Amino acid sequence: MKKRKMYFRMITASLLRRRSRMVIALLAISIGAMILSGLVTIYYDVPRQMGAQFRSYGANMILVSEGDTITQEQVDATREQVPGDKLVGIAAYRYETVRINDRPVMAAAADMEQVRNTSPFWLVEGEWPSREGEIMIGKNLAQTYNLKVGKRTTCTYAPESETEAEEGETEEIVLDNWVDFTVTGILDTGGKEEDYAYMLLSDMEKLTGLPTEYDVCELSISSNSVGLQTIADQISDNVDGISARLVKRVTESEDTVLSKLQSLVLLVTIVVLALTMICVATTMTAVVAERRKEIGLRKALGASNGSIIAEFMGEGVALGAFGGLVGALLGFLFAQAVSRNVFNSSITLMPWLIPVTIIASVLVTGIACLIPIRSATQVDPALVLKGE
Amino acid sequence: MFVRMIAKAFLRQWKKMLMIAFTIALGASLATAMLSVMMDVEDKMNQELKAYGANITVVPKSASVISDLYDVGDENVSGTYLKEDELGKIKTIFWAFNIVDFTPFISTEVTLDNGDKGQVTGTWFNHHMDLPTGEELDAGIASLRSWWTITEGEWLDEQGSHSGDYAMVGTLYAQRENLSVGDKIHVTGSAADKELEVVGIFDAGGDEDDLIYVPVDTAQELGGLEGKIDSIEVSALTTPDNELAVKAARDPSSLSVSQYETWYCTAYVSSICYQIEEVITDSVASAVRQVADSEGQILNKTKLLMILITILSMVGAALGICNLVTASVMERSQEIGLMKAIGAHNPAITALVLAEVMCTAVIGGIAGFYAGIGFAQIIGHSVFDSAISIRPMVVPVVGVLVAIVTLIGSIPAIRMLLNLRPTEVLHGR
Amino acid sequence: MSLLELKNVSKIYGSLHALDHVSLKVEKGEWLAIMGPSGSGKSTMMNIIGALDKATEGEILLDGVDIAKKNARALTDIRRDKIGLIFQQFHLVSYLTAVENVMLAQYYHSVPDEKEALEALDRVGLADRAHHYPSQLSGGEQQRVCVARALINYPEIILADEPTGNLDEANEEIVVELFRKLHMDGTTLVVVTHNPEVAEVAQRTIVLRNGRVDHEMINENFTGKIKHITLQ
Repeated sequence: MKKRKMYFRMITASLLRRRSRMVIALLAISIGAMILSGLVTIYYDVPRQMGAQFRSYGANMILVSEGDTITQEQVDATREQVPGDKLVGIAAYRYETVRINDRPVMAAAADMEQVRNTSPFWLVEGEWPSREGEIMIGKNLAQTYNLKVGKRTTCTYAPESETEAEEGETEEIVLDNWVDFTVTGILDTGGKEEDYAYMLLSDMEKLTGLPTEYDVCELSISSNSVGLQTIADQISDNVDGISARLVKRVTESEDTVLSKLQSLVLLVTIVVLALTMICVATTMTAVVAERRKEIGLRKALGASNGSIIAEFMGEGVALGAFGGLVGALLGFLFAQAVSRNVFNSSITLMPWLIPVTIIASVLVTGIACLIPIRSATQVDPALVLKGE
Repeated sequence: MFVRMIAKAFLRQWKKMLMIAFTIALGASLATAMLSVMMDVEDKMNQELKAYGANITVVPKSASVISDLYDVGDENVSGTYLKEDELGKIKTIFWAFNIVDFTPFISTEVTLDNGDKGQVTGTWFNHHMDLPTGEELDAGIASLRSWWTITEGEWLDEQGSHSGDYAMVGTLYAQRENLSVGDKIHVTGSAADKELEVVGIFDAGGDEDDLIYVPVDTAQELGGLEGKIDSIEVSALTTPDNELAVKAARDPSSLSVSQYETWYCTAYVSSICYQIEEVITDSVASAVRQVADSEGQILNKTKLLMILITILSMVGAALGICNLVTASVMERSQEIGLMKAIGAHNPAITALVLAEVMCTAVIGGIAGFYAGIGFAQIIGHSVFDSAISIRPMVVPVVGVLVAIVTLIGSIPAIRMLLNLRPTEVLHGR
Repeated sequence: MSLLELKNVSKIYGSLHALDHVSLKVEKGEWLAIMGPSGSGKSTMMNIIGALDKATEGEILLDGVDIAKKNARALTDIRRDKIGLIFQQFHLVSYLTAVENVMLAQYYHSVPDEKEALEALDRVGLADRAHHYPSQLSGGEQQRVCVARALINYPEIILADEPTGNLDEANEEIVVELFRKLHMDGTTLVVVTHNPEVAEVAQRTIVLRNGRVDHEMINENFTGKIKHITLQ
């Protein structure tokens, strides 16, 4: 019992009173541990964070209805099938052909908040429509009709049933529905969306006089293609009349690119870690090698090799553990800083990484100390004490 | 004598010096590898992002105004086309080197035997070109639609075994019409009618699954549109947009001369579009935002991520070197004490220690640099299947870094040595 | 039976005979000084007696046991149990206090006992400096800690290598006085020195030259007190 007390007393004395050297050693270990925990955290977080970035490619799943249209209930049911933290957006569109200046125009209505989530790449000059009576029109349309932000325009809609029924009758009775709009935004996408006009669902209901039923529903879900397929199957199974399909262009490409990126980070992590660990090891070796004389003295006093190794390793392990703990926390802060700067989001703390980091740094320090200690214990104490 | 002392120090303490050199080499190799990867990562990721397909579409001027609007079937409007013979010019623009792929499209209305109306799209599948510049390029949807999978048959080889009346069809179409490879479809276009043999069925996971694709000539003959094309999709390596690019994209004429130069000579998607418009008559080239924007975003993020990792590893390497230099110089307190005792002045000691450490640093730095290039290549080959190009920039950066770090690493040690009192050291501690 | 007996001991480094067939007997309770010029084999002899080094040939009987043939591990045990070492350079662990340095020897021997260690320091007159670090102690004080450390485990034999080599006269006197006390208590002392003043106090002095025992002197009027040769 007393012996153990002396053991700890010696180790703490060595750690606390040889401050400059211990700071060096501690610094080296903490840096190593920080790089370990920081990079591993980033490595694990990259797919999640980058996956979110890849959502800027837009929807990666679409809903196909077995009937003609998709109802609000079906959309809501679908939403429930997708885990909340994975769902980036679900936008259902209703398309109708309306008339602007008596020429046919494809108009789409949707929940604009969701559209912003599913199509983050849309470049809008001006504002997204947020209130009734506001409309966003595609770039091409704007050119054709010479519309600018702030201008007013009127959309008309000829209800189908009425037009057919009253085909042969007098013109005045055919009264088109109409809504006055203010153009709030011009949409630039480089795709077919530039030929459409976008408005709120309520305006569309007013214009057509028909309740909302959707033609297309897009989902943006952050997951890899395997995860997406599971979700898609789940939706198809659980939501009546709906089958979900992946947008292969987006999902497949995302898998390719993301896997490259992750293997890049993995390899970089391995290289950096290997080099850092060797760096830590050489520093520890230097710090211990300095104490050859002390080892010689202890041997002269009758210490067995075993007890010398036990003492110095005790120090090494204590340093490794403390440095590992400090490094693990610093590493988390680093990963957090990276995440804040690069992805504007915070990182999830992986609690298991702290013990892993500590164990790794204890191992590295232990091995690094063992080599010089062993070589020092092999040396004749007489030679060491005489001084080189 | 100075040189002799340094030489002696190396000879006697070669083990310790080797360790310092080794650590410096590790640090330098880490810095070299990370810097090289960081500087090249944008190009490499850019290549990978080509998987998303074209980021620029080129359409005829007037069509860009009317286009899809009337795809309901208003055939009268189909008046404007691009010229097929101008296609090669795309590879002659300022940023020709950044154009990795492009494909023309020409669609025409056809009537099927059962009376249904359909659309046939002519395109390049795997088109080999010998460019006027002497370069060769394989372009076409086989590479531009990397996400398509061939469920049956093979890619159409329009310049080889499948030149003429062959077609590829989408899975949905094939299912509906109950087609399989080798089957024939009879279509009647406005100018001719043809018997198309199906060579492949693809799964695109999108609207294209319902279409028929044929070689460009075949579609032109069907519609009587010889030498004409509807649109071109271009896949180009681009630099992520910045403010200048956004401003230029709205109106290039609003730029000052120097801004214009910068913009024109940077591979922004808008400047590449502009340059394409210059060579293709009556064309409007526009960025496919979905691809171009996302690309920019991902590239920026990746680069930033790599920069931060690089900084971390450089700090790690720097502190590692500092530490070891400090630790190993401190070890020599006895020797230094002796030198002081026999009358060495502080500057002389500092010079000696620094010279020794710097010699070691040079050796370690050079070894590390080459090792670092090796590491970078390992990363390049295993991740991107291509070599990482080493920028000349890396050499001075690593050199300066190693020098500064080694110097800083020596400071605490040297300060300690200078404060030594010879008597204390010589008579045991 | 003698406590320590060397029979024809030689130590050869390459072609150099550091010790050349040396025979020597040390009785229990004896105070022996070993003298000789530099290179005469003093240190080698000290290392061999102290079980720090092995002889090339010959027999070394310590307490009737031949330690010449023992392996490194066994030698370590012998050092720990039977020998107390005092060095010219003191060799105290810099980050341990005086009392902790003494306890270090106890630690390797058996069980550390702070009270006992403090008593040992008291015996060398350092009770009030027990909690100082070596750097805070003078050379003499450091050497006294060293003495306390050497005697803490009641060794059969205390071996001092130039114990006064780094000390001034005053401290030299204190250390020699300590040796006298140890002698009075019955401790066996072997002091290697080239300082005639320190050698003369011993009961018997052997002088080494070129690895051989040159001659032996018996101190007829042994008092254990140092006599300073005052310079005229």
